[in-house]
Amino acid sequence: MALLEIEQLSVAFDTDEGTFPAVSDLSLTLNEGEVLGIVGESGSGKSVTMLAMMGLLPFNARVEASRFHFAGQNMQTLSDRARRRLTGNDIAMIFQEPSTSLNPSFTIGFQLLEAIRAHEGGSRRQRRERAIELLDQVGIPAPAKRLSDYPHQLSGGMNQRVMIAMAIACNPRLLIADEPTTALDVTIQAQILDLLMRLQEERGMGMILITHDMGVVAGAARRVAVMYAGQLMETGASHDVFREPAHPYTGALLNALPERHPGTTRLPTIPGVVPGIGDRPQGCLFHPRCAHAQKDCRASRPSLEARHAETGLGTRHVRCYHPLNEEDLEIMS
Amino acid sequence: MLSFVIRKLLMLIPTLIGITLVTFTLVHLIPGDPVAIMAGERGISAERHAQVMAELGLDRPLWQQYLSFLGDLAQGDLGHSLISSNPVLDEFLSLFPATLELGFCAMLLAVCVGIPLGVIAGIKRGSIIDHTVMGTSLTGYSMPIFWWGLLLIILFSGILGWTPVSGRLSSSYWIETPTGFMLIDTLLSGEPGAFVDALRHLILPTIVLATIPLAVIARMTRSSILEVLGEDYIRTARAKGLSPWRIIAIHALRNAMIPVTTVIGLQIGLLFSGAILTETIFSWPGIGKWLIDAVGRRDYPSLQGGILLIALIVMVVNLIVDLLYGLINPRIRNSR
Repeated sequence: MALLEIEQLSVAFDTDEGTFPAVSDLSLTLNEGEVLGIVGESGSGKSVTMLAMMGLLPFNARVEASRFHFAGQNMQTLSDRARRRLTGNDIAMIFQEPSTSLNPSFTIGFQLLEAIRAHEGGSRRQRRERAIELLDQVGIPAPAKRLSDYPHQLSGGMNQRVMIAMAIACNPRLLIADEPTTALDVTIQAQILDLLMRLQEERGMGMILITHDMGVVAGAARRVAVMYAGQLMETGASHDVFREPAHPYTGALLNALPERHPGTTRLPTIPGVVPGIGDRPQGCLFHPRCAHAQKDCRASRPSLEARHAETGLGTRHVRCYHPLNEEDLEIMS
Repeated sequence: MLSFVIRKLLMLIPTLIGITLVTFTLVHLIPGDPVAIMAGERGISAERHAQVMAELGLDRPLWQQYLSFLGDLAQGDLGHSLISSNPVLDEFLSLFPATLELGFCAMLLAVCVGIPLGVIAGIKRGSIIDHTVMGTSLTGYSMPIFWWGLLLIILFSGILGWTPVSGRLSSSYWIETPTGFMLIDTLLSGEPGAFVDALRHLILPTIVLATIPLAVIARMTRSSILEVLGEDYIRTARAKGLSPWRIIAIHALRNAMIPVTTVIGLQIGLLFSGAILTETIFSWPGIGKWLIDAVGRRDYPSLQGGILLIALIVMVVNLIVDLLYGLINPRIRNSR
């Protein structure tokens, strides 16, 4: 059963310089217990999409979708109050910067208990026991003692564990992890990722993992979505997408991975940057940076087309007039 | 923590010595001398003038006067008023409750109104409410206190007749003042109507004295709230599904209060300078009016002693504010 169904989601920000479309024509589905990886450069709209799902965007954001259902409920018609009952309870989110994501003025016990109290009943004593149990589950040593610590007394990795404990406190059906390891040391990154994957498996949560790291997605997510400038460029089973990227952007991202170029001193890069406010090109959004761009790419914007037949892991979709063929892939490797 | 307090207290000593030097110099820079002023229009013969100056010890070189002032100070003696010949400390202490009562009410008003106004303006940024609060507070901040006081007197006391013009209590009441705080004393006296009368006397001076701190606190709270609302931990609080009220009142306000506390501490120092003007306008028998009178009469010991005591109070208040940070901000508490 589909846990999350989004069709034609668009998010726009009203700014002084006019309306800026951050996300457009984005469709996603996620089944119960499924892990979806979303990759893309900074500014490609990954986080904005997730914040829109949580209802956490600033007031100048306008969210529209032809369908936006979570667990059978239409999120667009929910009252604010009903929406708040879902957020933090059925949908939870962890963020990139654990140290600034916790309130510096309150103990982690206070912040964790608050999350439990907001959605679950139980006596004070029960809640406290639950908090200790949660901290234990996320691998925090001496959890009972840590309850009275402030965030600045813990390391970044420990703070991220606290954030994870808060997120799973109410047994969410969907956990959104927005670059959960980016701000951490490399050694800690692997630990946090292992923890997330273990919790996901144990609890059968749906999970959306946003990351820059293609390697992380390949290992963790069965399905992957590649975003660029607010649009989905390619989706499909991560195994398929990574072995045979169809979109030149996916191909270029994979080509920039160091492990694909052992022995070289200079890695291939994608020239240019993600277009920002006001410099979105005509035609395909990626064409100015694309090595395969042709005349039609400049003229009109391609739509997301199904490419291969169903493989049982979800359809492969690509937004490109000239998807990479075997020849292109060979040149890359 | 204790060593922090002791260190801060020790630092008060050189500051206070510096203040004695500055006040002593400034006070003696005022032209004229107390004897000539006491003599008034009738005048005084040159011999008599020199005799009185010698009696008061004012004929000695300034550095000698300063050293003897410091010497007395070291023994806890602030000297005697040249006018009333009462000890300066006694005069100060008898008048201080009036100023404290006024200052406390003004600060209470400034905090209780300024913080909520700032919070609302911050949450409703860019709205009519925000612009009104910010515009009004800028006006209040820029307004000369004496002029604002006179306007209020003209309107509420003169035209409308709602509040008394001056003083702390109508002359029709005669009550004991064991505490010196009129609101408490009138309650204790059991005199019917006295408390309300004292309250009515307090309203206008409180508003006048509170105006500037209120404006500053409201503006500081607004900008502080705005900054805090953009923080990641506010997003986390929203992601937990907490109510907007709880997010503002618990998560945002606690952090936003850190800079506001600093500003409140600084305003308490400025409150004394505001009190001098306010008390003069409303003939409020407190320290401010006493100091102004002392300037007019060149009552050197009262001026030196009074200013020194006020400086001491301001410094102690700032020390308390420093300690309060620790209560609000755990990061500071643990670093000490």
